[in-house]
Amino acid sequence: MKLRLSLVTLAALLAASVACAQGFKPARTVDLVVHTGPGGGSDVLARAIAVMVEKEKLLPVRLQVINKPGGNGAVAAAHLAEKKGDPNTLGLFTGVWLQSPLVSAEAKVTLRDLTPIARLVLEPAVIAVKADAPYKTLADFIDAAKKSPGQLKQSGGSNTSRDNVVRQLLQKSSGARWAFISFPGGGERIAALLGGHVNIMVIEPEEAGEHIRAGNLRVLAQVSEKRLAKFPEVPTLKEAGFDVPVVPQVRGVVAPPGIPKENVEFWQDFFRRLTRTPSWQKYIADNQFEDGYQNAADLAKFYDEFTDRMREILKDAGVKTVR
Amino acid sequence: MEILTGLLNGFAVALEPANLFWCFVGVLLGTVVGILPGLGPPATIAMLLPLTFNMNPAGAIIMLAGIYYGAKYGGSTTSILMNVPGESASVVTCLDGYQMAKKGRAGPALGIAAIASFVAGTVGVLGLMLVAPPIAKFALSFSSPEYFALMSLGLALVVLLAGRSIVKALLAALVGLWIASVGTDLFSSTSRFTFGQMELLSGIDFVVVAIGVFALAEVMVNMEARGETQLLPVPKGLKNLLPTMQDLKDCRFAFLNGSVIGFLVGALPGGGSTIASFLSYGLEKAVSPRREQFGTGVIEGVAAPEGANNSETGGALVPLLTLGIPGSGTTAILLAALVLWGFKPGPLFIPEHPALFWGLVASMYIGNVMLLILNLPLVPLFAQVLRMPAYVLYPLILGVSMVGVYSVSGSMFDLLLLLAFGLLGYLMRKLDYPSAPLILGLALGAGMERALRQSLMMSEGSLAILVSRPISAVMLSLAVLVLLIPMFGKLNAWRLRALEQE
Repeated sequence: MKLRLSLVTLAALLAASVACAQGFKPARTVDLVVHTGPGGGSDVLARAIAVMVEKEKLLPVRLQVINKPGGNGAVAAAHLAEKKGDPNTLGLFTGVWLQSPLVSAEAKVTLRDLTPIARLVLEPAVIAVKADAPYKTLADFIDAAKKSPGQLKQSGGSNTSRDNVVRQLLQKSSGARWAFISFPGGGERIAALLGGHVNIMVIEPEEAGEHIRAGNLRVLAQVSEKRLAKFPEVPTLKEAGFDVPVVPQVRGVVAPPGIPKENVEFWQDFFRRLTRTPSWQKYIADNQFEDGYQNAADLAKFYDEFTDRMREILKDAGVKTVR
Repeated sequence: MEILTGLLNGFAVALEPANLFWCFVGVLLGTVVGILPGLGPPATIAMLLPLTFNMNPAGAIIMLAGIYYGAKYGGSTTSILMNVPGESASVVTCLDGYQMAKKGRAGPALGIAAIASFVAGTVGVLGLMLVAPPIAKFALSFSSPEYFALMSLGLALVVLLAGRSIVKALLAALVGLWIASVGTDLFSSTSRFTFGQMELLSGIDFVVVAIGVFALAEVMVNMEARGETQLLPVPKGLKNLLPTMQDLKDCRFAFLNGSVIGFLVGALPGGGSTIASFLSYGLEKAVSPRREQFGTGVIEGVAAPEGANNSETGGALVPLLTLGIPGSGTTAILLAALVLWGFKPGPLFIPEHPALFWGLVASMYIGNVMLLILNLPLVPLFAQVLRMPAYVLYPLILGVSMVGVYSVSGSMFDLLLLLAFGLLGYLMRKLDYPSAPLILGLALGAGMERALRQSLMMSEGSLAILVSRPISAVMLSLAVLVLLIPMFGKLNAWRLRALEQE
């Protein structure tokens, strides 16, 4: 009994001393929850982060990726909500986590119900057509779309995806109209463009890169605030004459609800350090992401703005919103 | 000539001792994860990814690809022995494979699965080596109308999967189509048939339904007949555990059919091994002289889908390596691996990294031989599983089914679904509804609906798009022909009766 008591005090003392020195520190393997299966965008980023953490020795424990696919992000968000108070679980969110509660009543957990930690990256996009298409600029395409309303086609993801949001914004500002055809997989979207079955696509720069180099695709404009390093010649939407809001694809980190403030501080600092490492800088340069680091407080503001803007855009697009 | 030098250089890479070792590690791991239901190649490759960073990229891609095609060899094992499909592509293998096991021919079924996998796997690599660029071009000419026609052709096969009653088969197929429509609609983001359940937003997993309807129902039916269940016969002697010469002869066409269909469907970014295996089974049955025996344990019924499943790997690597386009979860993670190692998969990948491409191709020839040598001796071993008494075997099947389902999604909800579909399968068996059409409808439903809606969006609502494009028109005509097959049978029977009466 005595021995146990002294062990407990010892443990408490140890814990206290660690707490004094460092605040919070994860004690066991940290779970990083993603909403896609292996090979999906978030899964790949999460696994890259796990490798960097190991390489740069950023954590005393291992970081492992947990796949909770399903419900367009809702299953992963609900999993985090269930882990209330757990300091060793994090989630890697994307814009989908913001959008699906807007359109699906079944997705009950919104990002507001979880604890914001940090925003990590913004993924810009480019607007591409086939290299042998007659459109040399975005204005050419818009004019062609005006001449034959509804005849030209764009391939993309679901109707709440960023691809469709960019289309909605362009249609609204220009008065042109073209069709949006949803494909579930990125591969099918590019295949439809390369095969000439659709005319235009909003595509990630890295995905388009090799097809541009091989002379299969041409980029008309880029969906970003300033020109990307690898596309110095291509105008941004604004420079191309279309002053529409730039909608980034966002990725960041959240934690379960109800975790102490010092844990939040530990994790937001951890991710700030991660984004300053050479491995991270190389990774985002290779993938042509933008460094989008924001701390917890800014991220919370970002959610609200983003959600409000999305709701407007989706309503304009005729999508029924439930929240 | 260019191909020959490329291949020689490739063998020089693949035969380096380190790369041979990684190839062996890959195919061995692949065989193991293939046998275990649930844990599939994408999850395995994802877990191993961090380990590959310190490896030479050639060795790493050889190993990861080995897991990919190695898993396809093992996938049929639980289908044949326990009626538990380990992955979506080995669902069709259950139809004749498990029946063969019931007749005491588990050994030949497992053996022919390995041999068909070897033959078609090798043909798939040949295709990847010889015709990758033209096939990639052909795959790009395929779009939504063609996919719709391809899936219609697949669905038309339902008349061939029907038991005694075509009406019951069609009803079962409709239920399958309905299950496929559960979830969030891609085009409108509306929830369909989710009944407020968050878990249903992304639809019902195909493997959950297949394991429930096949394996659980089988266990329930056998439990009910508790008094009469006998041990499945397992003949003694190695000779009876491997396919005979006659078996191999019966499978000649199946090898060819599986190889070609698997490769072509695999090369389509919207294809996949599930559709490939169903199509090759259907084609095998449609042209077979003993069509009516399919589903009772004919060996071609195992060889064709297993072959297609393996040849599909070679096909799926075509768009990945020539265009940088992944068609499935596994190829997506292979793509991610290549990117993480610093390569840029795309149209210039093969010309700029010939050693990597040819090394991979050569390693796949070697890996397929390794897999055959690895898998054939396992056949007699696995066949012994059926010697277990019923009170061990059926709980084991139940356990394997539940672990398989749980490891796919890690969700208790899916286990409840499994139970529900087990009950559905049991009821269907009792009421004499065939379960294969339900599975077929489910496998094709989502893709077919999507392709039709995409086509109509492309044509602004005109159905003419489906018949004005040549590939689509040809496939739709074939579908009509397939639908007419049972009538030919009836006409023939009527003609024979008329002749007799005269």
